[in-house]
Amino acid sequence: MLIRFAFWKLEIKRALQRVPQLFAGVVVLMFLAGTTALFASRALYGEQAAGRIPVAVVLPEEELLAKKALSMIASLDSVKSMCDFVYQDRETALEMLKAGEVYAVMEVPEGLVQGIMDGSNVPVRIYFPENAGIESRIFQELTDAGAGILGAAQAGIYAGDQLCAAYGLESQIPLLEQDLNRIFLSYSLPREDYFRHIQVDATGDLGTAGFYGASAYILILLLCAVPVSGYLLPYRPVLERKLGMAGMGPLTQVLARTGGLGILMMAATGQIVLMMAAGMAAPGELGDIFFSLKAGIGDSFSKAGVWDSLTDKLLLAVTVTAVCFAVAAVVVLAYRLAGSLLGGIMLLFLLATVQHFLAGGFLPLVFLPASVKGLAQVLPSGILMDAVGMALTAHWDGMVFGRLGLLAAGAVGTAALWQAGGERR
Amino acid sequence: MLEVTGLSKSYGKQKILTEVSFTAAPGACAGIIGSNGCGKTTLLSILAGAVKADQGSIRYQGQEAVGAPAVFARAVAYVPQENPLIEELTVRDNLSLWYRGSRRELERDLEEGAAAMLGIPAMLKKPVSRLSGGMKKRLSIACALSNHASTLILDEPGAALDMECKADIRAYLIQYQKAGGTVLLTSHERTELELCTQMYVLKDGRLQQVEPGLSEEQMIRCIR
Repeated sequence: MLIRFAFWKLEIKRALQRVPQLFAGVVVLMFLAGTTALFASRALYGEQAAGRIPVAVVLPEEELLAKKALSMIASLDSVKSMCDFVYQDRETALEMLKAGEVYAVMEVPEGLVQGIMDGSNVPVRIYFPENAGIESRIFQELTDAGAGILGAAQAGIYAGDQLCAAYGLESQIPLLEQDLNRIFLSYSLPREDYFRHIQVDATGDLGTAGFYGASAYILILLLCAVPVSGYLLPYRPVLERKLGMAGMGPLTQVLARTGGLGILMMAATGQIVLMMAAGMAAPGELGDIFFSLKAGIGDSFSKAGVWDSLTDKLLLAVTVTAVCFAVAAVVVLAYRLAGSLLGGIMLLFLLATVQHFLAGGFLPLVFLPASVKGLAQVLPSGILMDAVGMALTAHWDGMVFGRLGLLAAGAVGTAALWQAGGERR
Repeated sequence: MLEVTGLSKSYGKQKILTEVSFTAAPGACAGIIGSNGCGKTTLLSILAGAVKADQGSIRYQGQEAVGAPAVFARAVAYVPQENPLIEELTVRDNLSLWYRGSRRELERDLEEGAAAMLGIPAMLKKPVSRLSGGMKKRLSIACALSNHASTLILDEPGAALDMECKADIRAYLIQYQKAGGTVLLTSHERTELELCTQMYVLKDGRLQQVEPGLSEEQMIRCIR
């Protein structure tokens, strides 16, 4: 027992000797990851991905009803935020399309509104340029979505009409259509209000900055092990054997190494927090990067009310500690599997980047194929980011803690078995 | 007292040791010679408890050690060919890792015990990575002996050491024997083998006793 205590103590001492290298590595990684996260978030949401979309609309002559319908569509938030409708005659509109002044021409047929009401649905003709850019594609998506909504509304109305006819209530059909229109609007308008007030984000419950903050944090933790690679190399076989003889077999050795690295990871976490505080005071773009990340994460914390409850604070500390030790276990496993300094660095880099991408660390999962989404649930970065996300939103979930524990235990167990197998080999 | 009976070991189909038997009394120094790869290190590893034998018995002071790691831990000090030291840590850290006793006992050993005789106190604060090969070997012996074992097993203790260091280690081994300890060593060097009170040749997995004090030519003939 005494020798085990001495071994653990010395492992921690060895780990702490690497603090200067760790801190230097975190400084570099923090800057790189922060910049990447900021640019990625800007690409997704921060700035407009595309400019406004001018669309030429060709209306039939003397069709006041169609013009009213079009101006109603143009006033819808989703359309208004992106599209500018200009009313032109057909020739001018097509000239403008050819000249690249508009991204689409929408030719409204005669009797459009009548067609919608009686179900004959005279189609609106939309012209796109041959080499449609992103703006044209966005407009195409908008019109497709609009047609879908219209189709769903019509289907509801026709179903009502059919129901009335089936029960011999044909005379009630106009009233029913009027009521359905009113009720449909009463439900659809509050939905628009909902979307206006509640942020709907590709990154899930977390805001963009919160999401990329969590992602960057995990990536930094994984990669900051590279500067301390010297500490992570397995002991020489002769020392491993001697430790084994003294009752400290592969499991104890792996656990001690994980413990030492876990402490370094916690030190790195502390450094990240301090750097963010200091970074916000930096001038120009650098300050913006840190401020943006801090604001996103702080916003998540405040929304979740983490700072209001002692239990939440304690659970936050437990989660961060668990994440640090789980990352340490994964890193120790990588170095055990590789068995050499260069192999360990390469494997860790591969592990940190490829699986971080597959786990949705660079691009949120909604943008990745369905097969990858399932894989993300079992990838280390996916599990670790879920845990950080849980802490940011204070949505404490035993399953997330369980998966974190399984990840750490699995990594430690595999590393110990690999080492034991190596001794036998 | 070390008593070894019918020790055998194979790696797959390759037989390394076959029915190895010998005894070494307190105060004795048993030397084992043999060509490279003949199984000397395997034999010493088995006697130290680092590797398991396929069959046979090993008794230290009459106690069966096979299947009893505590007996190995108490009775044997093993110094492998490579130094089992943690390079980034200091000499004191390495000593304290292996030391089986209180801090006070460690300090006493550093004043008048094996560690003192091996010159360890002068380098206590140095990181192991900055020590010479000879200093590391001394430290390895001191670490191994931190359990105050009655049997010291050394695998080629003088390999790659300078003459002064070899002489110091020899002097210590003589002291150890005089104090009633049993030394078991393998070596290719005549000066080290001159310490031996009994000699064995390991050839084709079998251990054969020869007269101590053989000339170099005689030893080469035995090994061939």
